[in-house]
Amino acid sequence: MKKTFNLVGKPVIRQDGYSKVTGKARFADDINYPDQLFGVMVRLPIAHARIKKIDFSEIENHPSVITICTAGDISGSNISGIIKQDQPVFCDQKIVTPGDVVAMLVGEDEELLRQLAGKVKYEIEPLPALTDPRKALDSDAVLIHPESKSNLIVHYPLRKGDIERGFSQSDHIVEQTYTTQLIEHGYIEPETVIAIPLAADRSVKIIGSIQNPFTARRIVAQALDLPLTRVRVEQAELGGSFGGKDDTMDILSARAAVAALKTGRPVKIRYRREESVLESYKRHPYILHYKVGFSREGKIKAMKIDILADGGAYASMSPFVTWRSVAQATGPYEVENVCTDVRAVYTNNPYTGAMRGFGSPQPIFAQESIMDEIANQLGKTPDEIRWINCLHSGSITATGQKLEKHDVNLIKVLDTAVQKTNFSRQWQACKDKNKSILPFIQKTHASQADKSLLLESEDLVAPDLLLRKGIGLALSYRGCSLGAEGIDAAAAYLSVQPDGSLYLVSGLAENGQGMRTTFSIIAAETLGLSVEDIHYLELDTGIVPDSGPTVASRSTLMGGGAVKIAAEIVRDRLQKFLCDFWKLNKQDVLCFEKNKVFSESDPQKTLRFSEVCQLAYRKGVCLAAIGWYPGPKVDWDESVGQGAAYFTYVYGCQVAEVTVNLGTGEVYVDRVVAVHDPGKVINLLGAQGQVYGGVTQGAGYGLWEEISSADGFIRELNFDQIFIPTSKDVGEIVPVFVEGDDQHGPWGAKSLGEPTLELTAAAIANAVRNAVGVRFFNLPLNLEEIVLKRKLKPGGLKRGSAV
Amino acid sequence: MIPKIEYFSPVNLTELLKLLDRHQQAAKIIAGGTDIIAGFHQGSARFKGIKYLIDLNWIDELKKVELSSDGIVIGSAASFSEILKNELINHHFPLLSTAASRVGSVQIRNRATIGGNFVNNAPCADSVPALLVYDAEIRIRSVEAERAVSLADFLLKPYQTQLRSDEVVTQIRLPFLSENYLGDFYKLGRRRGVAISRITLAVLMKLVESKIDDIRIASGAVTPIGKRFVSLEQFARGKTVSDHLYRELARMLGNEILDATGLRWSSAYKLPVVQQTFYQQLQHIYQTGNLR
Ligand SMILES: Cc1cc2nc3c(=O)[nH]c(=O)nc-3n(C[C@H](O)[C@H](O)[C@H](O)COP(=O)(O)OP(=O)(O)OC[C@H]3O[C@@H](n4cnc5c(N)ncnc54)[C@H](O)[C@@H]3O)c2cc1C
Repeated sequence: MKKTFNLVGKPVIRQDGYSKVTGKARFADDINYPDQLFGVMVRLPIAHARIKKIDFSEIENHPSVITICTAGDISGSNISGIIKQDQPVFCDQKIVTPGDVVAMLVGEDEELLRQLAGKVKYEIEPLPALTDPRKALDSDAVLIHPESKSNLIVHYPLRKGDIERGFSQSDHIVEQTYTTQLIEHGYIEPETVIAIPLAADRSVKIIGSIQNPFTARRIVAQALDLPLTRVRVEQAELGGSFGGKDDTMDILSARAAVAALKTGRPVKIRYRREESVLESYKRHPYILHYKVGFSREGKIKAMKIDILADGGAYASMSPFVTWRSVAQATGPYEVENVCTDVRAVYTNNPYTGAMRGFGSPQPIFAQESIMDEIANQLGKTPDEIRWINCLHSGSITATGQKLEKHDVNLIKVLDTAVQKTNFSRQWQACKDKNKSILPFIQKTHASQADKSLLLESEDLVAPDLLLRKGIGLALSYRGCSLGAEGIDAAAAYLSVQPDGSLYLVSGLAENGQGMRTTFSIIAAETLGLSVEDIHYLELDTGIVPDSGPTVASRSTLMGGGAVKIAAEIVRDRLQKFLCDFWKLNKQDVLCFEKNKVFSESDPQKTLRFSEVCQLAYRKGVCLAAIGWYPGPKVDWDESVGQGAAYFTYVYGCQVAEVTVNLGTGEVYVDRVVAVHDPGKVINLLGAQGQVYGGVTQGAGYGLWEEISSADGFIRELNFDQIFIPTSKDVGEIVPVFVEGDDQHGPWGAKSLGEPTLELTAAAIANAVRNAVGVRFFNLPLNLEEIVLKRKLKPGGLKRGSAV
Repeated sequence: MIPKIEYFSPVNLTELLKLLDRHQQAAKIIAGGTDIIAGFHQGSARFKGIKYLIDLNWIDELKKVELSSDGIVIGSAASFSEILKNELINHHFPLLSTAASRVGSVQIRNRATIGGNFVNNAPCADSVPALLVYDAEIRIRSVEAERAVSLADFLLKPYQTQLRSDEVVTQIRLPFLSENYLGDFYKLGRRRGVAISRITLAVLMKLVESKIDDIRIASGAVTPIGKRFVSLEQFARGKTVSDHLYRELARMLGNEILDATGLRWSSAYKLPVVQQTFYQQLQHIYQTGNLR
């Protein structure tokens, strides 16, 4: 389909941009009710214990405590969970991680309640804290959730071909272990929710910084034992989420709702940064063991992959996160023989769930590192080794799926990235320069905890030898939307008013990704309007069908598809109406353009869109429609990990250029060229914004960010210690879009949000390898990792400045 | 959490000193508040029990930067942004300008004051090494008296100084240097912006015919508080500069820091890196001839 567009593909400023940069946007904590109360959490300072008694006697009669909510106040199910039911709204049996909440104090004076929370007495039976995921499946390991009989959350095997034969046909085998760290989403707005009781019928309205209002509604209804319709969830303007405002917000909504119904007054919960970092879920740390067999020409013959994910205290999204990992773990390569096992386990660490990337940044780091190692071993360049193995149209993926019915643009994104950066020449040049490993680095890498700390004068390196340049690339394919994770469909509601302006809303959520603007463009393009004619409504579970969660980079593809269908339904009705009105042939094509409707065959017949709407409205034509976009079927055999995992894929290649200071371990990202095939670009500005943000976030993952814990307690509870990148830390980012045709999504538009993030850490790691001549296996590649090849952590938890 | 406090905004020193005298330990001076407010939220012991906050921002004379006969006088409540903009400081004491430019972010520099920085006396206070190599002297006032003390003596231990509860630091005095000093200020953080220092080094060096006539070396973040390395300076004075000497000084600095600090969790990283960066810095000063 060749079509010229009026809006699609052009840069459009996001609708919420102005109100956000001028401070006018209303976030959840800007919303207040005159008689509202605050809810403040009570936690116990332990990672693992059986609760014997919680004693509120010292505070329960305090005049400022209006009520105390505990598990006993939950009329429905106290146990929640999006996939597996294992997370209490209020803990009453066990504490399994320090973020756990046993009760909530409710009253008017939030500060005072925070002090009183420290006066709750308790009796507990401490249990050993399991913090090493590698020990979680030992026979003597303590069970985190004894009712599930094992600490195994999930195990996905994938078996393709004959792995042993694959290795025996290989000329070489490399075997390496990589690790990735726990990280925090780092959304700027901490969690906030307010629950308003609607006394008339024991129902409740919830307004919050909620990523998935429909999921929140389900969890609240389940906790209160109410029909879904009695819980109405409205999304406030959201200050960042990145996958992080799901489970935590669902449970907070439930706590607020319980208190609101108990007291009959609105109840607000708002977290501070420390509390947010303490309780909210994070990105899974992985331990990834890769064994790869390949021929002397560089063709991969076999891949054996063993991945262990630390799920922390609750299952949360682990079953879906690790499922994406098992489907994509080989990377975008044709491999005949694959044997992958991915396991997620319970520990007493902070729990892990959805975060932008969702099970792909970890294997991509390992798989792309090892691809470069193979190239190095065979004397090939990184792009050569990928060309040899790359998926193309008609290829069979590791899950046995044939790639077809869309442009398989993997080679194209690789070629584009390589050409734009003069990759092979640069790579070879850096490699040649960096052959000699500095004695300084040799010495520090060999140093042990308490020896060889001091250098001798001959170890010192001349300044001009310290700065090293490197270039590296990473390549990926990514299954779009949910795949075999779950049912995949989305809705949009569009209602044209008699004056030609229109309301639009979809069942997916604006989490900062610019979705409202994208959807407005789609509706405007279809009806020949301008973006300003469209008024996008706040998402409210009461006004639009449940469209599943806003995750998996699925908004544009699924929700955008639904918007286009809704707009087409209305357009078709108007077309039919006008054909009658103008007495045209049914086959006559009407054009909707520039706020006008006209007949192609008879240009005399032209009306303004508003006039058409006015006429149609008077004649009783329904100008509102719901568009429903169901995803095509996917299939999956869980016992061997085979099937058509996703109905379509996107492709990306990023090249990172870095300067490494070997004297300090600093890595500076000079430039990232990010080439992505998102299908079709709808809003160019929005798409570029995704790349800038994704690359920056990916660089943070690669180089700085890490949440560490001691006995399950998080050390880095605020941004003085969580190092998300600033604008000074990443150099130029160059977004390049290679568009591909696809039958799915609006005009073939698919996914971009997560692909932009998943590659960056791997590309940087490969650039660092190119610069230093040494492979680093453990993210993040922070100062200590580069200089010492290990991580250093303080023993305790105390922050220096808190003295 | 910010406790319930009474807030005062005196408009002159007399008023301020009276308030301090009246409330003693129950009062705390607030300048930019960038340490105090963060400290309240962290529940820091050193900001417990405060009932009164006394704001310096309304007292003009504490914000001035002026020439004196033998140097410049910086008001203790001058913000880092003001210091960064000041031509006098930039010209005569460029290492202080560089240090100021590396503090936090624009927003933090607009509020954070130089006095607050060293009175708070965190190990990583960025102004301290620069002030130490310039032999900063500070003026302290109470209702009764004014006293002058060198910054090096004023700073006692991490987060502890000689300051009494009835006193305020009014001025920082930096004496002019004779001509021909070379120098450099170096900061290493985990990021390029809004970064707490992992290492800071300030070095001033005066060469007379390739011989070190004077050298001053101070560090921050690698020692419990910012400090001068007096014995290292003595060792270097009178010696002819050479790559060999720089290497030797860098080697010795590592030993001195280890002696001062003992082994910490971070030593395995910081010691070799401070040696390497100090060596680099000496080379850099020599090669680029960076003035002061
Ligand atoms: C995000 C962030 C980033 C930061 N980055 C850096 C950095 O890069 N480098 C760095 O060094 N610091 C940094 N800091 C720490 C802080 O900004 C500095 O230490 C700052 O100089 C403190 O000055 P202030 O005026 O804000 O002090 P305040 O918080 O107002 O006061 C600090 C202490 O000094 C006392 N005090 C202040 N002025 C006087 C005076 N004239 N006489 C007597 N006592 C006084 C106060 O009573 C208090 O005890 C950062 C802080 C934040 C929040």
